[in-house]
This record gives sequence, structure tokens and C-alpha cells, in this order.
Amino acid sequence: MQPMPLRIVIVGGGSAGWMCAAAAAQVLHPERYRLTLIESDEIGTVGVGEATLPALRDFNELLGLDEAQFMRETQGTFKLGIEFRNWDVPGSYIHPFGAFGELWGGVEFQHFWMRARRQGLNPPPLEEFSVAVRACRRNAFDFPSPSTVLSTFYGYAYHFDATLYADFLRRWSMARGVTRVEGQVVDVALDGAQGTIESLTLKSGQRIAGDFFIDCSGFRSLLLGDKLQVPWEDWSSWLPCDRAWAVPCERSADFTPYTRSTAQKGGWTWRIPLQHRTGNGHVFSTRYVSEDEARATLLGQLDGPALGEPRLLKFRAGRRAQAWKRNCLALGLASGFLEPLESTSLFLIQKAIQDMLRLLPSPEARGVDERLVREFNRSSDALYERIRDFLILHYTANRRFGEPLWDHVRDYPLPDSLHHKLRLFDARGHVPYFKDGFFSRDSWLAVLFGQGLMPGAHDRLADCVPRELLDARLRELHSRVATHAGAMPSHADIIGRYCGEAPVTKLAVSS
Amino acid sequence: MSATAHPVRELVIVGRDAPVWLSACVMQYALGPAGVNVTVVELPPLAQAADLCISLPALEALHSRLRIDESRLIGATRGAFTLGRRFVDGTGDVSAFFHAHGSNGTRIDRKEFLPHWLHARSQGFEQPFEEFSLTAMAARQNRMLLPDAAIDGFGFTDYGYHLPAIPYGAWLKQLALRRGVRSHATRELGIRVDPQRGIAGLLLDDGRALSGDFFLDVTGREALLTAALGVGIESWRDAFPVDRVLSACGALLSPVPVYSEVRALHAGWVSLAASQVCIHVQQAYCSDLAPDPSELEAATRMPLQAIVVRELQPGRRMHAWEKNCVAIGQAACVFDPLHFVDLHAVQVGLVHLLPLFPVQADFGVERDEYNNNVRAAFGRMRDFQSAHYFLNRYGRHRDGDSPFWTRARAAAPAGELAHKIDAFRARGETVYYEDEAFTIDDWQALFIGHGAIPESWDPAVDRTPPELLRSELGRIQGFIRQKVDEQRTHSAYLQDVCALPRAGGAPSFK
Repeated sequence: MQPMPLRIVIVGGGSAGWMCAAAAAQVLHPERYRLTLIESDEIGTVGVGEATLPALRDFNELLGLDEAQFMRETQGTFKLGIEFRNWDVPGSYIHPFGAFGELWGGVEFQHFWMRARRQGLNPPPLEEFSVAVRACRRNAFDFPSPSTVLSTFYGYAYHFDATLYADFLRRWSMARGVTRVEGQVVDVALDGAQGTIESLTLKSGQRIAGDFFIDCSGFRSLLLGDKLQVPWEDWSSWLPCDRAWAVPCERSADFTPYTRSTAQKGGWTWRIPLQHRTGNGHVFSTRYVSEDEARATLLGQLDGPALGEPRLLKFRAGRRAQAWKRNCLALGLASGFLEPLESTSLFLIQKAIQDMLRLLPSPEARGVDERLVREFNRSSDALYERIRDFLILHYTANRRFGEPLWDHVRDYPLPDSLHHKLRLFDARGHVPYFKDGFFSRDSWLAVLFGQGLMPGAHDRLADCVPRELLDARLRELHSRVATHAGAMPSHADIIGRYCGEAPVTKLAVSS
Repeated sequence: MSATAHPVRELVIVGRDAPVWLSACVMQYALGPAGVNVTVVELPPLAQAADLCISLPALEALHSRLRIDESRLIGATRGAFTLGRRFVDGTGDVSAFFHAHGSNGTRIDRKEFLPHWLHARSQGFEQPFEEFSLTAMAARQNRMLLPDAAIDGFGFTDYGYHLPAIPYGAWLKQLALRRGVRSHATRELGIRVDPQRGIAGLLLDDGRALSGDFFLDVTGREALLTAALGVGIESWRDAFPVDRVLSACGALLSPVPVYSEVRALHAGWVSLAASQVCIHVQQAYCSDLAPDPSELEAATRMPLQAIVVRELQPGRRMHAWEKNCVAIGQAACVFDPLHFVDLHAVQVGLVHLLPLFPVQADFGVERDEYNNNVRAAFGRMRDFQSAHYFLNRYGRHRDGDSPFWTRARAAAPAGELAHKIDAFRARGETVYYEDEAFTIDDWQALFIGHGAIPESWDPAVDRTPPELLRSELGRIQGFIRQKVDEQRTHSAYLQDVCALPRAGGAPSFK
């Protein structure tokens, strides 16, 4: 005897809403869970050109999407990492999705590299020991081969148009039984006894009842924040940016397989290459620059003519104290916001969806199990805090002296967890390892070295190799990495061959 | 120039028995080539003939790094392999279960096994969880289990060792000395403490003074150096009732079992673990609930020799690393004997130390990192043991429950463990923290074995068609049967692969 299906109601149809609907439609039994998504054509989504992390590939794989088709439909391009320009002294470094060098005798590569520097072997820069970085520097891309060894290890992600992605997932989800309701939520009714959400009323007067509600309403946080009054935990003392301008421009000849992030006086600008255009934006703090000045900065640095007027987004860094309360769980901006400096927005959504799908109430029990709510919130808190620390690192380790924003972030008190990590790196180039891998040791190394930090010593385990042998090994590895990256085709070529020729008709859908 | 000179040239390791020599081998192997001189100050051994070093699977990897030849080691120490342990109820009729060193089942329809099993169970499927563990099933038939490509595709399987403590220590000592470790034996130890630096020097019984830059305290539960530095202990008495452990040698069993057995008694428990020398018996109990001697006899059914009884005060030092001295093994943490984690604690202490070994005169941040890491790792190991006591269903009787097991059930688990048990009971979700020593499969086997059956499961598996689920469950059982049949028996493996070396290596204590 099957119980009545559990009614899941998703509020909001941006990336968060449609990613959630698609994954739920794929994973849950259609006779046990009924999926409804409410969205309004009157409310715009935040969706801008989106840069992602390699984990998104797992998400697409869960849905069984064909990669080339997905990239064609979303004007997608490949991403091997992020270039950071002028975040420390003027210059550039790349945070790649991949390793620097390889382990020798179980000892991490950076220790050998630091030793070689200290002992006058003049090794090439650390980035030249990363295949992904060398490919970025050449605007080249190729798929990692299954026979990849550690020294050539890298992963990849995508840049794509998030509005097209949501649109693609909308069609995909509706074909798999998700009910889409057009309308705007104007009232939320609670159960008097338990304080759980019972139903939503739309502007049209239509009432939608449900057992479990997923708040994807963006910054408004209609259900979790407004109705259930989950307090906001403010992180703006660490991450002071509170606005962003976003504007696309024409695609330029510089077709990078990476996102570019350039530090500015009052924040930073992003540049995300898509097939049909380039996405741009300026994240800034109104404490340090005015909206007008930031707008001018953004428009002055585009590498092609702007396509339309810049749009202004307002936000605060932080998160809701609980992402899941009673029978309501928030995804994406409704649960928290971290600036897109490391492309974590969709990753946070994806991770929350995957956790949620395992921990959802069952149709038999119907009620929410607090034991599972605690587990979801624990996992979500840990991830938010780790990403927060990683973002702060980019700001605090800077030598842009004399600029008020950058002077402020250099000297402010850090979270204890980050302070400890910095001391450990400073002392000996050691980066703690996390099983969950977020962010990975190589990512921390890329940014720590990239921001100009140089440890005072290296691990003694790296002293085990004689100096001449170390020199020879470094040379051999350096040339192996160069050869590997040097054989890759250009990013533009591979996109053209693999997933180019986007049908023009599809583009019209998104506008 | 002092700025570039390494702060540690002379490393002094003080202690006894296998842990001190394992520490010496690891430090010499990793840091000897980098110019660190390793010296052992060896205290009189305390290991007895009945003592057995039982490892978790991780030791194999450490041994390989040290280029230790496994079959020669097993041959020379007359040790044995272990695929896990079987928990048996000697007080009533709680079902026995295996905690094997391998994965439980394999993915079905690209989804985890446990929720499928729970789903099938809810529909009347009755096969016990452990019958889907290839490792447990091999153990039940006393077969060794060596992975091949098909088994690798199925899941993972691992093994630990049963190494008689005296020959294992002797073997490691030989290895350490051969590799260049210097050693001094002493019956007494004087410790000079410098309030700033920590350990300033040692005085040996022949009047020699020994100085060093850095010290490892492997002196066991006395923690001679660490105690001299004034580091206190956080007692774990509230969570662990056992305060006495009896060790003894039983008969030599043939064939040699490839797993250990842990049997609940009314007043504690007894474990039987095999080597090629004898069955090593351990009985754990509370001194104020003194066991009836007949219980031990009934459980072992063999004459016992070389009996020793030791007191046990479980607890963790507040810091493992204090000033210039790191406590390793029991000097850092005294565990309850359940699940045999002592040797693993030595390994955890050493492996965390290597990448943080001092490189500059100021190593405060390394010390903090190390102390946090091992504190967490020891906490997770304690949780695993604690869950076993807390969840037990032993000793329940109409005419009064066994006070030992009642006491064990009453020990409230720490916050992280309480949450882990909650999430598992609710959904079969295994919360997996950083620094876990046991695998997710270990936790599942423990929870299910103790009857903590999840109330619901990952909804994703409901989508797998019932026919596919049934046929896959059948296929897995067929695969396990076939693979177990292909394996050599443990006895045959010991004979073929780990035969005694012709000369020199035979243990001397028999």
C-alpha cells in the first residue's frame, strides 16, 4: 500500500529552483513525491554569465546530460581555473583546477620547489609545474585523459549562461513531470500548532498546499527569512562588498579557458567568456566607491562593445543561521550569499540539493525529522565557513598599500580558522588536508603563493634527495608538464569542433 | 648560520616494546636522510608472551613505506592475518555479527548498498547485512582474501595483522638498528626539565647523560617525559567502565582463525585472537563487578598460561605535543581495549608528526596543529569504541540485567557521536567527520550489528525496479560465494607464503 505522495513545492525559478527541480525529478520516485515549482515571469532572475567548479560535471552526470548538447544550449565554454590580476602587487596568477607538480616519496611538491629556491637552484615559477596553468597561459584546452598521472592532473568546469541553463533545465524538468505554476506568492500560511508551512497563496488567488517547501526566492528569502524568521548571520565585516554591476559585451579575440578576476580600487571585476559574448561585472563596496564610479570602472575596462545597459545587484555577505527549518529548506541566495570570487554559487546550490535529496522526509513519515535537519545544517555550515575563509584569504593577503579598501582588509581580525592556516603556511608551506576537499590543498597553495606569500621554511622530508638529483628531477618534470600542455589545441578550436554552431533560434528563448 | 640551521639534529625516542621501535623505524626512514640522528633510549620491556599487537588495515601501508616484507614479518613473528572481528553474545541470544575490514555490498543501480538493503528488508527480505560483505564471508570460512580485478570492482577489502608483541618488537628493533638508529638500554631514567625548552636531558642508569633537541615519549601509560612536563590527563572513565584487563596464552588452534572473536560475558567481555603461537586471550572487566572465573573458562574452553592482569585508566593527555616532546601511543592516549586501537594510535601519532616536524626554532603553530589533529583522531577512535558499549543489547534478563552492560549502556556518548547515531538511526546516513580512523563501512557494520537499524533510507533507491533489486542482491551473493571458494585457506596461505625463514628469525620466547 503506497502512502499519499509527499508534495514538494519549490518557490522560485532561477538556477537554484530549476536545478533542484531537475535533480529531484531525476532521483525521486514519481509516485512517492510530487514536484511543483512556482515562478513568475514578472520577477527577474539574477542569472548572469556563470562560472562554475568541476563538481558541476557530477551534477550534469546525475541528470544524464550530454555534455556537448548542454554546452551548445547554454553557450558554454571550458574553464581550467581563475586568473587573478593585481590582487597583490600588479601582476597575475592562476588558481587552476589541478595539481602543482607531483608527490615525491609521499612529500608534497611545494616543499621541493621551496628548497630548490632556497638553495639557489633557481627553479622556474611554481605555476610552470601545473599543466592547467600552462594551458591557460596558451588559451589552450583538452580533455584530461584517463591515463593522466599526478603531474599532469587537472579537472575542468564550464562557463555558461545561467539563464539559458535554467531555461534548459526547465524544459528538461517539465518533460519529466515537474508541474510549473506561473504566479507570485503573496501569502504564506502556517500550521498553528507546529509552525510548519501549510500552503502558499498566489496573486491570482490560487492556493498551493504542500508538505515540504523549498525556498529558491533569491535574496527575498520569502519563506525561510520572511515567514519563518530565521536570522541572518552577517559576514560583511570580512567581505565588505555589497553591490555588483553586470553587463555582457561582444566576444573578444582573447578566448580564455579561464575566468578572469581583476582587483579594483573598491572591489574587483569579473570576465567570463561565453561562446556568443563575454560576461562582465564589478563587485564593489559602497563604503569605498560610489555606484557611478564603479559603473564607469566596469564600462571602461570591457574588451568589446557593451551589449545593453549594466544591471545593478545589491547584496550582503552572510547566510541564514539555519538553511533548513521545520518543513522549509532554502537554496541559493535565499540561504546565503558569498561573492562569486571563486565561482561557488552554483556549487553551494548543488551540494545542498544533493544533501537534501538524501535527507528529505519520506511519504510514510511525512513530518520532518529534526535529526536529519541537524545533519543538513551541520554540513552546510562547514562548507560555508570553509569557502568564507578561502575568499577572505584573497583580500587579506594583499600589498595594495594606500588604498582604503585594501588597507582595511589587510589588517582586520581574521576568523581563527583562517588565522591558524596562514600561520601554518607562513611557517613551513604546510596546508591542512580536508577529506571533503573544499577547497583542495592545491587550491590553497595556488592562492597563498599567488598572493605573494613565501613560507619561512620547507618540510625536512624534502631534504632527503641530494641537491643534484633534485635539480635534475625538477628539470625533467618541468619539461614533461610543458610538453603535455603544449600539445593541446586552442580553446576556440575545441569549442568550435565539440559544441559550437549554437542554433540561433534557441538564443531567442532566453531574452 | 643559525637562521638556516635546522633546530633538530638529535632526536631522542624514549620507550619500550614494539611502539618505540616502530617510532624509531619511521623517524629514521623519513628523517635520517635529511640529517636527523635518531637515538632510542630503551626501557625494560613490559610486553608479555600473551600480548598481541593487533593492527588496523592502515599498518600495511606504513610497513610498505618502511619496505617491510610482509610475508617475512608474519613468518618471523609467527603472526597471522585478520579480516576483522566477530562479536558474539555470551550472555543471551543477541545475534552475532562481523565487523570485517571490507566494504558492505556493492553499488546497485549506481546507488549505495545500505539503503537498498534497508528497502529490501522492509519488503520481507531476510538476508543479514554481513552476508553481503565479501570480507566477512571469507572470514567465516577461514579463508584469506586477496583482491583481484573483479573484487576491486566490487568494493574494497583489507586486512590487519595479529603480531605477537615480543617478537614484533624484536623484529622492529633489528630493523631500526640495521638502518642506523643508535640505542641505549637503561633500567632507570632521570629527566632534566628546562622550564622554557622542555626536556633538557636524560640520565641513564650507568650515569651517562644524554641530551637531545627533540624527544618522543613512547614510555606507555606512565608517559614519563610528558608527565615530567606537567601535562595533565582528561579521564574517559565515565564513558568506559573497564578498569582491569587480563591477558593470557591459550592453546594453539588449527586451522589458525583469520579473525578474532569478542564475546560478551556477564561481567565484561573476552577476546580470542590467533597467532601461529597460540590463541591470545584478553578479558576486560570492572574490578568492582569481579567476574566469576568459570565464565572465562566457559568462554575459552582451554587451559590458560602466562596470565597477567593490568589496571586500566582510559583517558587522553591534554596535549600530545608539549614543548620539545611529543607523546606517542599510550603516553598520549590510553584507550579501552575494545577494537584493538592501541597500535593504530601509535601510527596516527607518527604519521601526523612527519609533515609537522620542526623546521624552525619556533614551532608553536606546528604544535597547535598537531595537537588539534591527534586530539580529533583519538576522539573519533574513542567514539567507535564508545558506540559499541552504548548501543549494546547484552546481558538483559528477566531476573535482572548484567550490571556491566547496564553500566555500559548508561554512558552518554559525546556530542559528535550522539549526532552520528541519531542520523544513522533516522536515515542510515553515516556522518563522517574529518580525522576518522574507521571507514563508513566499519560504522555501518557496527551500527547494524548492534541492531541500530535505520528507520528510513535514502529515497533515491525507491526508484530502482524491484526485479532489478532482487536480481542484483542474488548476483552479489553468488559473486561472494564464488570469490570465497576461490581463496586459499588462511592456514594454507600462512604455510605457502609466510613460511618461517630458514635461519635467524625464529622467536626466542617459546
